[in-house]
Amino acid sequence: MKITKVAKAGTLESNDILIMVSPKDQGIIELDLESIVMQQFGEVIKQVILHKVQEMGVEGVSIKAQDRGALDCTIAARVETALNRAI
Amino acid sequence: MVYGAQVARVNLKDKTERDEVESFLGEFGLILDRDVDYTFVIRNEEPSPQFSLTERAPIVATCSKAKNVLKCFAIAHDLRGEGMAATLVTALIDRLFSEGIHHYFVYTNPCQVKIFSALGFKFVHQNQAVALLENGIYDIRQHLEGLKAKYEIGAGERAALVMNCNPFTLGHQFLIEEAANNHGEVLVFIVEEDKSLFPFATRLALVSEGTKHLPNVKIIPSGEYIISAATFPAYFIREEGERLQAYAELDAAIFGKYFCSSFQILKRYVGEEPYCPVTKAYNETLKKVLPIYGVELEEIRRRPFGDEPISASRVRSLLREGETANLINLLPEVTLRFLDTSLGREIVEKIRKTHSPH
Repeated sequence: MKITKVAKAGTLESNDILIMVSPKDQGIIELDLESIVMQQFGEVIKQVILHKVQEMGVEGVSIKAQDRGALDCTIAARVETALNRAI
Repeated sequence: MVYGAQVARVNLKDKTERDEVESFLGEFGLILDRDVDYTFVIRNEEPSPQFSLTERAPIVATCSKAKNVLKCFAIAHDLRGEGMAATLVTALIDRLFSEGIHHYFVYTNPCQVKIFSALGFKFVHQNQAVALLENGIYDIRQHLEGLKAKYEIGAGERAALVMNCNPFTLGHQFLIEEAANNHGEVLVFIVEEDKSLFPFATRLALVSEGTKHLPNVKIIPSGEYIISAATFPAYFIREEGERLQAYAELDAAIFGKYFCSSFQILKRYVGEEPYCPVTKAYNETLKKVLPIYGVELEEIRRRPFGDEPISASRVRSLLREGETANLINLLPEVTLRFLDTSLGREIVEKIRKTHSPH
């Protein structure tokens, strides 16, 4: 799956996450995460996002995630939507 | 508590609606800037007997944007701390993305920096009067890294100039030559904001062509961080006084703090400004601010022709008056040739019809 344009999904409301994705060279997956619960869940959130990226077979992407305390299912859904919008 | 606050767009062309936003902002000592192109409001939707059905509920929060800059934020005191700012910013980001803008700034009072940081904005710079933050798919550090790679800016010390070149004159050429003689490498940033009579693409092309004989000069688009509508709105709306001072200081500091340290710029050259009060004030500010970041500012006396210094505004006024015979002494070959093309003639025609200071 190839990312061809910039897209986003989500909001900055509490319990949500805002995901912005943009194209990157093949093989490069870049993730920039900010979260209000970075210390407690930073690693878990990263894994959820990267797992989704892998699952969808994305080749190269730069992801910027601004988390406001979203649940894992929300995070996965927002990433999936953003990626689908960016094809 | 407001649940599911509804964000509504304001029709800025409707005087009643505009007045309503202006008077709401007025309560906080704010004004609705002239360059705003999109405004959102949240209204107090709770049913209240004080308002008849025909009357609209009062505004409780508002925000606006001008191109890629978020501004004019206000939220009623009793609704603060309820996540209104997040709702407003999300609505603006939706709008920005739909316009194809993926990187944006916010100007705010230095005491509000915290609120925007919490919404994911990254701090760029602040002074006593104003703070600038940014957000989006890249930031200033990534932008500088990108420039470094693209223009092969390696190690070593260099000098820089920032120019509008509207159009490129012998004065500009002289200034660049001066800098090129004294330094191993010179970076010339051409103001990218397309608010001048000569379009950016033309200005960039003319300078590149007119400095071809100088192998140690690199011509670079100024981007969003040097004299752009984001970092220096006052320059384009010709504002003077306190706001000009605050914005000029911000622009100068961003150049010193980020560009000079990242590219090892030791000196910035400017031409003496005999006419324009805004540019003059800007030069004065540069003189004060750049040394804080260890950068020297050299003001070079303009190259004169006749009794008067050569300047782009002098060229424009000659074009306006149709006195083209004198231009040969003010403009380099490439600009003269350009004025003779169809696009060039079109621009001259435009200059004759307007009185724009740019």
